[in-house]
Amino acid sequence: MSIRRSSGPVGALALALVLTGCGSSSDGGSDSASEKSGTRVFTADNGRITIPANPKRVVATGYAVPALIEADAPLVGISSWKRGEPMMNKEDLATYKKLKKVAGEQAAETNYEAIAEAEPDLIVIGVPAPVLGDIDMKRLKSIAPVVAIGPSLPSAWRDLSRKQADAAGAVKQFDAQKKTYDTKAAELAAKYKNVLPKLGLGHVGAYGDAAKGTFQREFNGSWGTNIAEDLGATYYGKVKKPGPGSRAVSEYPSIEELPAAFREADALTYSVNADGSVPPSVKYVLDSELWKNLPAVKAGKVFPYRYTEAATYGEALMTLDAIDESLAPLLKR
Amino acid sequence: MNVPRIHFERRTAILVGVLVALMLGLGLLGLCYGASWAPPGKVFAVLTGSEHSVVIRDWRLPRVLAGLVFGAALGVAGAIFQNLTRNPMGSPDVIGLDAGAYTGALIALTVLSGTSAQLAVGSVAGGLVVAAAIYLLSLETGFSGLRLVVIGIAVNAMVTAVNSWIVLRADLEVAIAAVGWSAGSLNGVGWEDLGIPFTVIAVLLALMTTRAHAMHQASLGDPIAVTTGVGLDRLRLLMVLVGVGCTATVTAVAGPIAFIALAAPQIGRRLAGAAGVPLLPAALTGAVLLQGADLLAQSLLAPVALPVGVVSTAIGGCYLIWLLTKEVRRA
Amino acid sequence: MTVAGRASEAAGNRRAVPQTALLVGGLVLLAALAVLSMGVGARHVAPGEVVRALFDYRGTDDHVVVRDVRAPRALLAVAVGAALAVAGALIQTLARNPLAEPGILGVTAGAGFAVTLGSAAGLAGGRAGELGFAVAGSVAAALLVVAVGRGSPLRLVLTGVAVTAVLNGVALGLRLMLPDTFDLYRFWSVGTLAGREQASLSWPLTAIAVSLAGALLLSRALNALTLGENVAHTLGADVGRVRLTTLVLITVLSGAATAVAGPILFVGLIVPHLVRKPAAGSVPWLIAYTMVLGPVLLLAADMAARVLLPTGEVPVAIVTAFLGGPMLIWAVRRYGAGSL
Repeated sequence: MSIRRSSGPVGALALALVLTGCGSSSDGGSDSASEKSGTRVFTADNGRITIPANPKRVVATGYAVPALIEADAPLVGISSWKRGEPMMNKEDLATYKKLKKVAGEQAAETNYEAIAEAEPDLIVIGVPAPVLGDIDMKRLKSIAPVVAIGPSLPSAWRDLSRKQADAAGAVKQFDAQKKTYDTKAAELAAKYKNVLPKLGLGHVGAYGDAAKGTFQREFNGSWGTNIAEDLGATYYGKVKKPGPGSRAVSEYPSIEELPAAFREADALTYSVNADGSVPPSVKYVLDSELWKNLPAVKAGKVFPYRYTEAATYGEALMTLDAIDESLAPLLKR
Repeated sequence: MNVPRIHFERRTAILVGVLVALMLGLGLLGLCYGASWAPPGKVFAVLTGSEHSVVIRDWRLPRVLAGLVFGAALGVAGAIFQNLTRNPMGSPDVIGLDAGAYTGALIALTVLSGTSAQLAVGSVAGGLVVAAAIYLLSLETGFSGLRLVVIGIAVNAMVTAVNSWIVLRADLEVAIAAVGWSAGSLNGVGWEDLGIPFTVIAVLLALMTTRAHAMHQASLGDPIAVTTGVGLDRLRLLMVLVGVGCTATVTAVAGPIAFIALAAPQIGRRLAGAAGVPLLPAALTGAVLLQGADLLAQSLLAPVALPVGVVSTAIGGCYLIWLLTKEVRRA
Repeated sequence: MTVAGRASEAAGNRRAVPQTALLVGGLVLLAALAVLSMGVGARHVAPGEVVRALFDYRGTDDHVVVRDVRAPRALLAVAVGAALAVAGALIQTLARNPLAEPGILGVTAGAGFAVTLGSAAGLAGGRAGELGFAVAGSVAAALLVVAVGRGSPLRLVLTGVAVTAVLNGVALGLRLMLPDTFDLYRFWSVGTLAGREQASLSWPLTAIAVSLAGALLLSRALNALTLGENVAHTLGADVGRVRLTTLVLITVLSGAATAVAGPILFVGLIVPHLVRKPAAGSVPWLIAYTMVLGPVLLLAADMAARVLLPTGEVPVAIVTAFLGGPMLIWAVRRYGAGSL
């Protein structure tokens, strides 16, 4: 559930990789040997890997798929990734459908032969660390250098992408886009200065499991909340039993704990799909009597957020607009 | 009774010949088929060593061999238990041995560190514990295979419940790895995975062939077995050990592959027209079935490979339905 | 059986008062357990507070949880428990099979599978549609299993297990090949009472209530049937029609229970065996007792389901499977290959 969200850092990373490729020749710091052979050393989940400086044929699996499609990386093969399809825009979806599939949804269904046939010069695996055991890394490494970038903290997409761009010397382009975002965010923060910081907020995420009677509660730094924080929002509380990755900033309590979780909230926000429709797990919460009984709900202070999956500065700009649109009623009061 | 016996033996010989040919054919197909088709000529060249191909020798060949050998092991395990319980439904997947093997593997994953050696030992231990439990629970005057099978079903339900609880209770990461086990797969099987399993299976099968005749006599009924001087209890114990060892070893490497152990012995028996459940046809049919299923699994949604456990379940399901409809027509 | 049956009926009349007392006791136990179960969950609520929430509603958090989440869930447990237990009693009586119940015989698997297919194909709109598919699936599975496994009790069980295995295998295959369509419906492959408090229960509950009433009304005629077909004829029971009606009741009860909670096994096996002694061969009493004890069992299992994990819940079907195993083993050892 939480794993789905992590396409962000991977994409940003990979984007940086590609940018890196463009910028490697200006990388004066590296030794001449690597410059000549066109490789560089990259730190990933599976250690420090020597990869081509300018990859031209990339195979991506897992969460790297939507991220690299978005980044327009030179992909020659991907794993099928049905769960990423609804989040892709039309262009990316067309690219996804056209690309050759070399693996299934699960790590155990990797088709090594198909990958070998695609003749990649770089393989990017976007699966969480424990699942790596299902993949025969030795076999993959015999085909091409393998970089494993698994999911991590949601809000880390900014740091990761900047660090990469910095190491690659593509900081200028990156910073320009970041500046656009920062300017906009500061604008909006000033706009909401008098209302937003004063509110104690609670957020319902889209990954609860209605079949189990649970809902997802997201705190600061999670997918639904990190961009809103740039506008001055704060989500009170913290995870009872923190885990790795996104489980450090979100949890899945039973619906019975809804009152205890959100009783003190001044306003409540929840994630919705890109088209504005409410996902079933969130609908389960909204339809519950426990929700309707909450003070914030009775006062009508509930706001939906779209594009909560944003993990590049380009996407985040869309999110800023969406949040602004949604929170506008706050200013009228 | 000379003429019928010759007839019988000729039929078996023909059947064995046909099955072996099928095995070799499917094996060859498995070596040729892949992301790119390798012509049989090239395959033979690689096998005899005159040509070099990593893909054929190190990737496809272990997988094909695994398909054939594991299929044979599952067929034998199924035949053993169907003989023991004297019931065509008495196969390791139905009576809970596979669930027990899974429990052992889960314990290795959650409590220990889940290396492949630990998984193998855990699976076999789990299977043996469940087998012992079923045997003890069905102890009563007069051996009833049917009763043992139903008790096996009950134990299967309990063990499966425990497995679900373990998976739910474990940390998210481990649970992810365990879920990948819900259907067995031969994907990514390499030479290093096959050393121990092949040795174990070879030893068990060798052990079995030395006692094959005795086992066949036993399956024809206790009175016959006793009069022909077969040491029943010790023989049964040996059969259980071999059966559990075979199915648990396969489960430890590839995950649970359902229905081969159920269907292969019966199909083999029907083809051979024999009484009881003969081992050799079961083994050969199992090899053919599993390798065929693996080829299907690779080609159905190519290039995405399905787990072979899914295809074997579908095949087994069809077999069961066919079996049931035949019984309906008879009834 | 006939002589013993008549004798026990006579003895039953003598025991009529204790039997009624037992029934009342069962109802009290049921009420107590229902209240207790409404106190168990992510936040524990004392029984006194539960009663207050039901009758003296104050709108505190605890009260809202009890009234809007746990009370519907308890009601669900009662309905499903009664439906499955009575269905089991009916099957065991009709087939004279001590090992039979809707779960083992694949009837619930058939119902769940049918609903999955119907919902994925977009045909099962709304509760009525789901219920329809579930009952249709129950009927199909029941017919198949009865047609094939008619020979002996053990054979019936084996056929049921075979059908369940096939259906589960196919469902798993569908889920792996088309995860989008079928992942949403994994609810109908494992039985659970969690997250269902918002579901509209009117259709299934009506179906269950009507069927339970029908079972009680039919129990006299069924009683006659257990004394043997000839005796039944002389007592005026239309054997064919009684059998058909019983089959209809079984499939509706199993279908409705599965449509609401998913496949839950073994309840129909455990409860009739527990109450066979007190019922003393009388089918009406058997039905009455199972109607009370079935909910008791499921409520207890559901409470266990909520506390077995440090965080989160176990699906209740897992608990009943774990409890049912020993019961099936006991039944096999007690009755062997013979019939009831």
